[in-house]
Amino acid sequence: MGSMRMTFLLYRAAVRGEMQYRLNFVMLLALGLVYQGSGIAFVWTVLRTFDTIAGWNFGELAFLYSLRLMAHAVWVVPFHQLVSMDTTIREGRFDRYLVRPLNPFLQIITSRFRMNVIGDVMAAVILFTIAVNLVDIDFSPLSVAYLVLAVVGGALAEGAAAVVVSSLSFRSVQTWAASQLVDNIYLMFGSYPTRVFGGALTWGLTWVLPVAVVAYIPSSVLLDKTDSLHLSAPAAVAAPLIGVLWFGAAYKWWRVRMRGYQSVGA
Amino acid sequence: MPTLIRAEGLTKYYRRPRRYEGAFGGLRTLITRQYDEVRAVDGVDFTVSDGELVGYLGPNGAGKSTTIKMMTGVLVPTGGLIEVDGTAPWRDREKNAMHIGVVFGQRSQLWWDLPLVDSFTLLGKMYRMSEADYRRRLDGFIDLLDLGPFLDRPVRQLSLGQRMRGDLAAAMLHEPSILYLDEPTIGLDAVARDRMRDFIAEMNRESGTTIVLTTHDLVDVEALCNRVVFIDKGRVLYDGSVVDLKATYAPHRTLVVQLASGFTAARAAELLGPEVPGDVIADEGPTLRIRFEANRISAQEIISAVTSRCPVTDLSLVEPELEDVMRTLYGNRTIAV
Ligand SMILES: Nc1ncnc2c1ncn2[C@@H]1O[C@H](COP(=O)(O)OP(=O)(O)OP(=O)(O)O)[C@@H](O)[C@H]1O
Ligand SMILES: [Mg+2]
Repeated sequence: MGSMRMTFLLYRAAVRGEMQYRLNFVMLLALGLVYQGSGIAFVWTVLRTFDTIAGWNFGELAFLYSLRLMAHAVWVVPFHQLVSMDTTIREGRFDRYLVRPLNPFLQIITSRFRMNVIGDVMAAVILFTIAVNLVDIDFSPLSVAYLVLAVVGGALAEGAAAVVVSSLSFRSVQTWAASQLVDNIYLMFGSYPTRVFGGALTWGLTWVLPVAVVAYIPSSVLLDKTDSLHLSAPAAVAAPLIGVLWFGAAYKWWRVRMRGYQSVGA
Repeated sequence: MPTLIRAEGLTKYYRRPRRYEGAFGGLRTLITRQYDEVRAVDGVDFTVSDGELVGYLGPNGAGKSTTIKMMTGVLVPTGGLIEVDGTAPWRDREKNAMHIGVVFGQRSQLWWDLPLVDSFTLLGKMYRMSEADYRRRLDGFIDLLDLGPFLDRPVRQLSLGQRMRGDLAAAMLHEPSILYLDEPTIGLDAVARDRMRDFIAEMNRESGTTIVLTTHDLVDVEALCNRVVFIDKGRVLYDGSVVDLKATYAPHRTLVVQLASGFTAARAAELLGPEVPGDVIADEGPTLRIRFEANRISAQEIISAVTSRCPVTDLSLVEPELEDVMRTLYGNRTIAV
């Protein structure tokens, strides 16, 4: 597992590099916290105004929302640098990753570490802690294991979309807008009971773009609400696997696109 | 010496999806099937043997960097064969990477915000060097490149010369058997250039590192390369020794004669007459120049012809400059177009 260790060392170097700019470091951290904090406050108010949405009460909605945040945080902390891959390519830094004996994907994601993602983590953890106390889940070892699996699967489901978007930059396309779009789709459609968006969209958000599998389906399983789902209970339980499969496929696709990389002049 | 690098009919055409401006331009660019094509490398053949130091030369846009990128595994060729140590670099990228070092003169590979030594530590780990090997190599480079004074400074604070030295050490740390240098002396002052050249020569001589070098500085070439491959518009124009290159494209040497006082160049020219094969250029003063083809007549013959007829105070022989060669080659190019 040499690559794992190397990845860790590169992350550590990235954080150290970031800490050279102390003020910026602190500011980004603060920005992350304020941004996510105000996000929570907003959601809180919105959720409060509904009694129930599609049969989900306030506590359950908060749980769903925070599970999505957890998955998002687990995705964004290690992989957020993928969003700037188009810049890396445009500035000609990708060539270097190809002449080193380490997977270029790992080198991309460890090339910087932006501290504001810590805000995402804090927000997710805080909201999740609160939400868990609002719902009535029996935390057996099995359901805890499922929860962990669901968070990882959800992270990979969102990650799959981000990986596909980043692969477009091998064709020297700027991808900033596209990744913002993906981010917002997951936020908008992934944080609520997907059912409210109607049958066609729900189907699309499950099988075309894996959004419902991030939090809606797993929290239905955990909250014992699979009756009202658009898929059978066993399929729902397997939802985290969908994220894993999507990610595997997305990564394969990324490697294929990398073959077409054309570098830059000079 | 066994062949280490082999290129046969090597080709790279850059294909760019046609760009569209305006609203939805990006989206059209994304889905278009229309391409603009640049033939950067267009059927190149050459081999490099173990231990050689080869200059890969050519004017701007000739395709040098593109070829280097194919040799290092950055680019997948459009056609032809490229083999380094028996494998295709683009297919076996990480394996190839283990035994090559690359310096892109325009771009540093060092970690910008960290002390220089941190880059070495990370690379030592990445190339899976043992602690002992790492220490030995690093100490060697600290000595050879005088890295000591700025080893602990963040890379972004280093001068260009210091940074380039750091980059060279970084590329050579893991003892690669091949070193690719794409314009390693660009932007350096005279002293830094000399130092860089000494280092490159030493790596080749002492460690037997095979080196492929591109540069626009012909002094680099004269100082370092026995052999050059000259390309233009993606094709090889010349492949051989620097000596032969000069003999072919700049065959003339010039004998500069200082005549004794009172003896004008014009008079000397008269005395020499048509007997001396070569162009006699008589200046106003006491300096006479005789331009002759080195492979037709020896300098010895000309000198004795001159000294037997005229009173001479000083003689010097001007060798052809590589620059003259380039001018001839570039000149042919403009005619060929
Ligand atoms: N990434 C790229 N995409 C499209 N065209 C490119 C790319 N890189 C280089 N080219 C084009 O390919 C040709 C060869 O470029 P290359 O960089 O190999 O030349 P070079 O010999 O290294 O030149 P220089 O001496 O200026 O560095 C040029 O016409 C250049 O414009
Ligand atoms: Mg170049």
